[in-house]
Amino acid sequence: MLIDDLREIQARHGYLPDEELKSLSERKGIPLYEAHGVASFYPHFRLKPPPDATLRVCTDLTCHLHGACDVLETLRETVEYAGLDQWEVSGASCLGQCDGAPAVSINDGSYRSMSVDRLARYVARLADNEKIGRQPVRRRANPGLIDPYDHPLAAESLKQWVSGGDADRLVQTIRDSGLRGMGGAGFPAGVKWDLVRKTESEVKYAICNADESEPGTFKDREILYHYPHLVIEGVILGGLAVGAKQGYLFLRHEYDREREVLEKTIRAFYSAGYLGDGILNSERSFHLEIFDSPGGYICGEETALLEAMEGKRAEPRNKPPFPGTHGLHGRPTLINNVETFAWVPAILQRGADWFRSQGTNGASGRKYIALSGHVEKPGVYEIPLGTRVCDLIQDYGGGVSGGRELKAFSPGGTSSGFLPASMAEIPLDFKPLADAGSMLGSGAVIVLAEGTDMADLALNAITFFRNESCGKCVPCRTGTEHLAHMLEAVLEGNGRSDTLEPVGDLAEAMELTSICGLGQAAALPLTSALRYFPGEFELPRRHAANRRGEEAGGGSDG
Amino acid sequence: MGSGNVTLTIDGSRVTAPEGTTIWEAARSAGIDIPTLCHDPKLHPVAVCRVCAVDVENFRTLPAACIRPVEEGMVVRTDTERVRRARRTLVELLQAGQPPEEERRKPSAQDELAQLGGQLRSDPARYASTCSNPVAQQDLSSPVIAVDHDACILCDRCIRACDDIQVNDVIGRAGKGCDTRIAFDNDLPMGKSSCVACGECVAACPTGALTDLTLVDMGRGTAETAPGKIDSVCPYCGVGCGITYHVQDARITRVTGREDTHTEGRLCVKGRYGYDYTHHPQRLLKPLIRRENAYPKRPLSADFQDYREFRRSLRSPEWNDRIREIFREADWDEALDLAARRLLEIKQKKGPGALAGFGSAKVTNEEAYLFQKLIRVAFGTNNVDHCTRLCHASSVAALTEAIGSGAVSNAFQEVLETDVIFVIGSNTEDNHPVAASYMKQAVDRGARMIVLDPRRPTIADHATRYVRFKPGTDIALLNGMMHVILREGLQDDGFIAQRTEGFDALEPALRPYTPEMASKITGVPASVIEEIAVEYGRARRAMVFWGMGISQHVNGTDNARALISLCLMTGNIGRPGTGLHPLRGQNNVQGASDVGLIPRFYPGYQPADDPEVRKRFEEAWRTPLDPQSGLTVVEIMHGALDGRIEGMFMMGENPFLSDPNMNKVRKALQNLSFLVVQDIFLTETAEFADVILPASTAAEKRGTYVNTNRMVQIGRKALNPPGEARLDGDILVDLANRMLRMERGGQGEHGICWDYDGPEAVWEEIISLTPIFKGITYEAMERETVVWPLGEPVLFTDSFPLGRGGFTPVSFAPPDELPDEEYPFVLNTGRVLQHWHTGTMTRRARALDAISPEPFVELTPRDLACLGVEDGDLVVVSSRRGAITLKSKSSTRVSDGNVFIPFHFKEAAANVLTNDALDPDGKIPEFKYCAVAVERAVASG
Repeated sequence: MLIDDLREIQARHGYLPDEELKSLSERKGIPLYEAHGVASFYPHFRLKPPPDATLRVCTDLTCHLHGACDVLETLRETVEYAGLDQWEVSGASCLGQCDGAPAVSINDGSYRSMSVDRLARYVARLADNEKIGRQPVRRRANPGLIDPYDHPLAAESLKQWVSGGDADRLVQTIRDSGLRGMGGAGFPAGVKWDLVRKTESEVKYAICNADESEPGTFKDREILYHYPHLVIEGVILGGLAVGAKQGYLFLRHEYDREREVLEKTIRAFYSAGYLGDGILNSERSFHLEIFDSPGGYICGEETALLEAMEGKRAEPRNKPPFPGTHGLHGRPTLINNVETFAWVPAILQRGADWFRSQGTNGASGRKYIALSGHVEKPGVYEIPLGTRVCDLIQDYGGGVSGGRELKAFSPGGTSSGFLPASMAEIPLDFKPLADAGSMLGSGAVIVLAEGTDMADLALNAITFFRNESCGKCVPCRTGTEHLAHMLEAVLEGNGRSDTLEPVGDLAEAMELTSICGLGQAAALPLTSALRYFPGEFELPRRHAANRRGEEAGGGSDG
Repeated sequence: MGSGNVTLTIDGSRVTAPEGTTIWEAARSAGIDIPTLCHDPKLHPVAVCRVCAVDVENFRTLPAACIRPVEEGMVVRTDTERVRRARRTLVELLQAGQPPEEERRKPSAQDELAQLGGQLRSDPARYASTCSNPVAQQDLSSPVIAVDHDACILCDRCIRACDDIQVNDVIGRAGKGCDTRIAFDNDLPMGKSSCVACGECVAACPTGALTDLTLVDMGRGTAETAPGKIDSVCPYCGVGCGITYHVQDARITRVTGREDTHTEGRLCVKGRYGYDYTHHPQRLLKPLIRRENAYPKRPLSADFQDYREFRRSLRSPEWNDRIREIFREADWDEALDLAARRLLEIKQKKGPGALAGFGSAKVTNEEAYLFQKLIRVAFGTNNVDHCTRLCHASSVAALTEAIGSGAVSNAFQEVLETDVIFVIGSNTEDNHPVAASYMKQAVDRGARMIVLDPRRPTIADHATRYVRFKPGTDIALLNGMMHVILREGLQDDGFIAQRTEGFDALEPALRPYTPEMASKITGVPASVIEEIAVEYGRARRAMVFWGMGISQHVNGTDNARALISLCLMTGNIGRPGTGLHPLRGQNNVQGASDVGLIPRFYPGYQPADDPEVRKRFEEAWRTPLDPQSGLTVVEIMHGALDGRIEGMFMMGENPFLSDPNMNKVRKALQNLSFLVVQDIFLTETAEFADVILPASTAAEKRGTYVNTNRMVQIGRKALNPPGEARLDGDILVDLANRMLRMERGGQGEHGICWDYDGPEAVWEEIISLTPIFKGITYEAMERETVVWPLGEPVLFTDSFPLGRGGFTPVSFAPPDELPDEEYPFVLNTGRVLQHWHTGTMTRRARALDAISPEPFVELTPRDLACLGVEDGDLVVVSSRRGAITLKSKSSTRVSDGNVFIPFHFKEAAANVLTNDALDPDGKIPEFKYCAVAVERAVASG
């Protein structure tokens, strides 16, 4: 795979020298533009020699709420003052550590809850060529019902099924359970399994999408770390059920701890005979590999993910055809989110009815929720679907931080937009949120306390989508850029009364014509904020806000 | 995709379309045009502009019509309010991002973005204030194409034009998101990249992002006011691409490809950008006569030692002064009378056999016909030939002997329906770029391509297999393959039995050529010979292409014989996607031969030494004709050297540079007692002339040309000849009439007065004498594309002109001059993409000269190192016949011990070195092999 070749070259040189790209293109028989086009697409490939140190501050939504801008600015000043001009300091897209905001990536390792002071100490140690150790891992927030086993190598569902299980019945159980895709789209998992199973092909694949990257989203990180055996067992079962012999775990690059745990568990599964040729002495075979994502939010889009695996630029495909019939290398491919696969063993152990009965407020099933923002106890919680947002914040999150009033919340990650506090009784479930013009998404609830500047937040969200747009289609590439410029003008107080006039048309065009969900949803943070907090975008108020900001010397709350 | 039909509703109408059709296609078939920017039916859809969004019942979003397949029962509306709004927004966004009007380049193709904006009544001003600042990236590094990244809308049409159509694979997307840009190779400036400047991307660009630099140079607004568009045929290679001249103020401002021709609008760098020679200040505008004091003759240009000097001469007024020292201007009467008189004097004194003529494969059929008629009727000799002798004479000899016809059996476009493309001795990408694009496209679509050549041609980069063999060992390689085919039983016994003869003699001749034996001679591993033999032998359909690498050898005819045998024994002829295709070099080399510009044949390959045939032509031309067949090009030059040939007429040929062993050619030219040259520039050959007649370029005349596919096409007039220059045909008729009048006193009893009412009248005469052109009238050519024989794109479906196809066993023999201690390297000569033969036209085309300004010799890095020479250092290359000094160029396309020199450059003419040993049958010289020495040039002051 091209990505592996590029990775190998980068490992040798620290970057991708032109000569290496040329010889790679000759060796692989691909045009040079293709090798370069791929290399220049992904954030984890460098086309120039690397700096002495790389420090990247996450500036996305939750970290932004926790003062990432100040951290970044101070870091820049510190590094400049110290004359460390061979260092690279920059903002970064969401690192998946929103429960430890603000997060910083130092030479590819993630560090959480980074105050200005702590970062200054790290810089000093780095400058002295000292190593910076890893931070300790947080303990599991609330042990849930997802794990039906008493020890991690139980794999009872796999054992039972391999000794005479019927694939149709397995798929039917998943269908009956009502399990839906937990990565964002919420497509019924059983229907997808059925489709892939029924598509004729000698070769099929199963892929676990572990590339969550949307600001506010980090629940898969916890599942991968604490329940790797469930994820892996789920992928094996899904793969075998649809007729695949090869599986991949497409893992976001930043999740290095999780990678270690997964690698260890995969090895243990091979040793136990759960993976490999002739699983548990049966006729069945299944292999599983980790594919390290070359980076970028867009890789989480399932067809972009496939393009990346095929060694191309991760530009989402036009659909149909869908991956279920034309996936990796054109073969039928089952792609599910980490959590979707992780629920499979529990459902098979306890039954479809059990899972269905788990919801509350008219919902069915359970779900992992990443809770972050202005909340006392940010973290990952397993909850019954249908739990009201206000209850989640209160019962699991310990309330809005600092005892403040709730102003707004984002129910399903940045792309679900913002809803006002008045709607906090809405159940966390697929349909009610969709009816409210939002979505459950991956289950990333971001809490916004009183005093939050919604226009500033909208710009932050739009900027993320602009930075992460792959650039393939016009509405997303140019639309996110224009939206960001419009908001910048408004926030800087130099907009005109009609600056935001085109937003309606633009948002509509983006939603209706973008190739993938990124572009389709990218305007929602702005349109929802405009809908519920229109006053905050009015120019006189912006001017006043800017004056106040100047007097107070900027700054945001932590 | 299934094969059924799907019925859907589009804008209220029921539409039935085959399954797999897109909504866009289905709508178009129903007369509904859905606007688009990124889509072009010639390219695979990518659906990135989203402008073709349509409303489909029960769909949440608006799918892109260009890529969405139709489904049964789909209800599509192409013009709802929200569709209109979305389209307008998308176009407004793109328009807002365009550079300001005053900085924009005028699009070379249509300004589709602006047009669509007008159509949708867009208001880009809504987004003007929120555009990103332009990055102001104008890339002017290419001599022919301007790149304005700010105007790029990333529709990917250039990317696909480069990939899908020309298969040059240069352009891609680099970066991500709003930093995405088109990039050449690894994001190099276009002019520094591997771009071959074919201009297909410019033709595809819907904005001003990629524009022809020449148009820009001509000033803005040209295209709007351009009054003239004239459809014609490219004047360069035998592919014969359809072109349109864009003419304003009597100048060619642009040339574009014609979509409605066999080449579908494709062109190469020469065919798109190589036309300014026609306006070059050095064009000959008046007849010239050598001054009395300018004898004995000497070349004017012999002292050009380096390319800078030569290039300066192209512009320098001093050059014109030097010409004036040697030649004086004359009027047409004086020049033509002098020519007629002197030629007749020689004829009377030494007999017609002391005269000879070299015609040209660049002129029209009508002109070529008139030339050979002039030589045969007025000169009275069959000593008429042209550069076909230097390219495919051996191929034609072998083909004529084996099957009775020298022309190609199948069109090159049939590669798209073949399984195996077998390319040997052809640098197709440089010499037949547009034909190469079809081959590469075929490979992209799943055909296999085996490229065999001692020097790795760039087309090998696209091949499924490249086989390098020792130069001059083609026969051993092909015999080895045939040996394997027989051993494996892959021959087509049915075809051999029904359609061929002489197979019995072939088999024993092949017996010694085991793969192991062939391997020893060719240097190709035996296993590889076996594999390619099996691949070719197993193919249901295979096409063979070859070029000068086969023909320009002392055993060129044997090489071709072996190829023919390979093709016949596997039955790969007579069906679409099979056959034998010697790729024709010049734009009209096929036609010139067809109309008799060769010594052994009258028009239509009717033997000149056949009394029956002669009688017919004597009647038609109302004059007795030479009963002997004539001398060939190199034989004529030998004749000039030894005094047998005293007077010559050369039209559009430049043997000084194009013939082997230049020092000998120089002596031969000096030796002629009288030489008339008819040309557009004062060529190196014309420097030896007594009379020079100013002629016309292709853009200045009307006439027909036959391309490599036997396709007869009309070239049309776009310009008037400059000054007193005349049409070639008119000059020939005038000279013929003068000679006939002088010789026979008035019009004489034969009543010979040539009088043609334009090229159509000449063509009528050709058709009446030439059965192969039956039915191919100008009217038919205006109407449709025609091949000769009319309606037979695939030849030999049932039988060969000789009835059965004949096998001629051949055996390996080494080249004429092998390397030794004194001359240890093997020299191969050929062409580069940007230049045409002796460079008369292309070195006077600004862009082509800029891309390829100077001569070079390719050597391997290892050989360079052994010689102690750095890449780019000057070296002296010498052979037994002369020496030249030129730059070295490190290349792995050649192999150790082999060097390559393109022959276009007079300041380091490869043909100083080449060997004039001839193939006994084709009389073609061995341009592709001679022994040379290479050493570092001593630095001169």
